[in-house]
Amino acid sequence: MEFAWSPEQRRYRDRVRVALDELLPDDWDEAYVPESYASDRQVEFSRHFCAALAERGLLVPHWPKDFGGNESADWDHFILGEEMKGAGEPRGPQYMNVNWIGPTLMRYGTAEQQKQHVNGIASGKVIWCQGFSEPNAGTDLAALRTRAELEGDHYVVNGSKIWTSYARTADWCFLLARTGTARKDVSIFLIPMDTPGISVTSFPGLIKPGHLNEVFFTDVRVPVANRVGAEGQAWEIVTHALAYERVGVPRYHTGLDALDLAVSQLRREGRWDDDPIVRAAAGRIVAKFEAARLMTYLVVDQRVKQMPPSTDANLSRVVALDAVSDLMNFIAEHVPDCLAGGDVLLEDYYRINVPAGITGGTNEIQLDLVAQRGLGLPRV
Amino acid sequence: MDLQLTEEQQALVAALQDIMQDHAELPQERRLSYAWHDAGLQTLLGESGFLDAAREIGPLEAALVVFEAGKGIAALDTIGCGLVAPLLLPDLRIEGPVALVDRRDLGKAIRNLSISGTLLVDCGEDVALLPLAGFAIDSVDSIFAFPYGRFAERPDLSSARRLPGAGAAMRQWWRVGIAAEMAGAADAAIAFTIDYVKQRHVFGRPVGSFQSVQHRLVQRHGWAKSLYYLTMKAAWSGAESDAAIAACFAQTGIQSLMFDLHQFHGGMGVTIEHLLHFWTYRIRALQAEAGGLSASALAIAERRWTEAGSEVDAVPARVAGL
Ligand SMILES: Cc1cc2nc3c(=O)[nH]c(=O)nc-3n(C[C@H](O)[C@H](O)[C@H](O)COP(=O)(O)OP(=O)(O)OC[C@H]3O[C@@H](n4cnc5c(N)ncnc54)[C@H](O)[C@@H]3O)c2cc1C
Repeated sequence: MEFAWSPEQRRYRDRVRVALDELLPDDWDEAYVPESYASDRQVEFSRHFCAALAERGLLVPHWPKDFGGNESADWDHFILGEEMKGAGEPRGPQYMNVNWIGPTLMRYGTAEQQKQHVNGIASGKVIWCQGFSEPNAGTDLAALRTRAELEGDHYVVNGSKIWTSYARTADWCFLLARTGTARKDVSIFLIPMDTPGISVTSFPGLIKPGHLNEVFFTDVRVPVANRVGAEGQAWEIVTHALAYERVGVPRYHTGLDALDLAVSQLRREGRWDDDPIVRAAAGRIVAKFEAARLMTYLVVDQRVKQMPPSTDANLSRVVALDAVSDLMNFIAEHVPDCLAGGDVLLEDYYRINVPAGITGGTNEIQLDLVAQRGLGLPRV
Repeated sequence: MDLQLTEEQQALVAALQDIMQDHAELPQERRLSYAWHDAGLQTLLGESGFLDAAREIGPLEAALVVFEAGKGIAALDTIGCGLVAPLLLPDLRIEGPVALVDRRDLGKAIRNLSISGTLLVDCGEDVALLPLAGFAIDSVDSIFAFPYGRFAERPDLSSARRLPGAGAAMRQWWRVGIAAEMAGAADAAIAFTIDYVKQRHVFGRPVGSFQSVQHRLVQRHGWAKSLYYLTMKAAWSGAESDAAIAACFAQTGIQSLMFDLHQFHGGMGVTIEHLLHFWTYRIRALQAEAGGLSASALAIAERRWTEAGSEVDAVPARVAGL
């Protein structure tokens, strides 16, 4: 066992930090971060930022050389993600592109789709949204009702999607739609968001703006050439795609930063040194985030060593969620003013994490997967 | 960054697991015991060099020994004589097993006192070293799954050998030890419970098929697995803050672990015929040691947020000059 970074990894991290330092505007923390990474402003910013990252070879370094990458080590890819997340994710929605949309198209897309989209993603200028969930199909995604009917060389799509993050500003949608009557007759389509018949409605929520959108599809015509894989192949493809998405979002990074901010506020106000209860509570949260950190490293390490798939990625999310939930509670209990204009960064942290147990597969589904596939408990 | 064991570490673990396997059975006459100290196994671990891992190989390997031994049902001393003593006193052989106590608890029942050769007393700044030969010690019956003893007469520490400035190092390795033994015991107790809930049927289906049982077992498993890595990191780095983090995380998770594991055994979980308590009541016994949860949590806060709290490197070097 070895818990230190190698000199090359440290140099790589420094390189990413230098890039962040040079590419982020001076008022990044004050003006951009508080608006949250899904806001229109940050999404727009990501088009410039990611293009600049691409020029420095820091957008898709882990991709194969044929697709504009550098086949860099998996740990480097992870370090890159850790630093980006720590800086408030200036890649905006484009972390999705590089983590799973691009790799999925490399594996399942046609040559034409690869040429157009994989290159587009590697340029850092294209925004995608993920059109999976519907009002009556979230955890039970196979219940989705949006339909795509084949008419000649086009499909005609009708239905609606909800919770579609970034839909307001996205150029393309990675859409799941029903192409048959059986439960799993679902296919994937790549649809330009400016296609006639698509409309987007946004609504406010507990999370900062940008995530809560509803997308309506009314007789939207999509060329057959925009279908990914065969009809009905969506589950196989999505399972593969989300295996990429679900590798440890490094939550400990921003969590520990947020905790530091809360502690400095408490100190400034004279509510820290004399209060061992608050200090102990903060100490316990650090321990939980460090646990989450090591569980995330474990998952990346397994991946780097190409070990057989395990449910540790799901488990690491369960562990991280516990830390996040404690920290949100700490913020609300000890520095509540942060949620009422007192500290925009802490408010942003809190609000981004309101749905931490819901997005990307709910906590209960993670628990089910570990119980049944990891611990071998019986499924009834 | 490499979270897998090296080949040498794997070999160490496999050799220890072989020995533990041979000592996995509870002797029939101890069936209704609260604690079972396997003196033969304790001697064997010493003679076969496992308790010298800290000196011979390093702290991480010593923590692995504590972890693996912790999976067994027997109460042993690996924390004191396999981790704390050799790291505090690398050049001094002392009579094992080694019991550990906070000075304020000297007159109370002390874990492992009745089986130990030496007692290390955490006096805050310093550590006092007390060879136990010649002291009258009464065995104490308790619900805990370790043997306990109490001094017939409170010993006078004024003439005991002192290790100046070694208090922090003692607490640090004690914390790593607590975390390692708890991680091992929890791992085994969770596996034992998983077996039980797979076999025990209620309402025509296994207890372990209910989602409320599954989810809680996964959460406990996530805690135990995280604890293992936090412990190994703390042993690897030799940093006080990492030791406090491992102990704090360990001590934070005990309440849910104890509740859930006993709960899922129903009435059987209340008996001592059932083996569960041999793991869980060792964990309970460690809960308050080295200052308990508040002290470890406060130590983390102090390290992270006090200006003076910058990291100090591996401790043996600091006390080596004693
Ligand atoms: C901020 C945000 C951003 C999102 N972004 C996107 C996006 O970009 N694209 C997209 O397609 N979707 C997105 N989603 C949707 C997200 O994937 C779904 O919300 C999620 O899958 C849960 O679906 P649901 O909301 O319909 O909850 P439901 O399926 O109604 O579930 C409600 C709750 O029931 C419980 N539950 C459900 N199933 C089980 C079970 N089997 N066992 C035990 N308990 C269960 C869980 O506690 C769950 O949270 C986003 C959601 C949020 C909140």
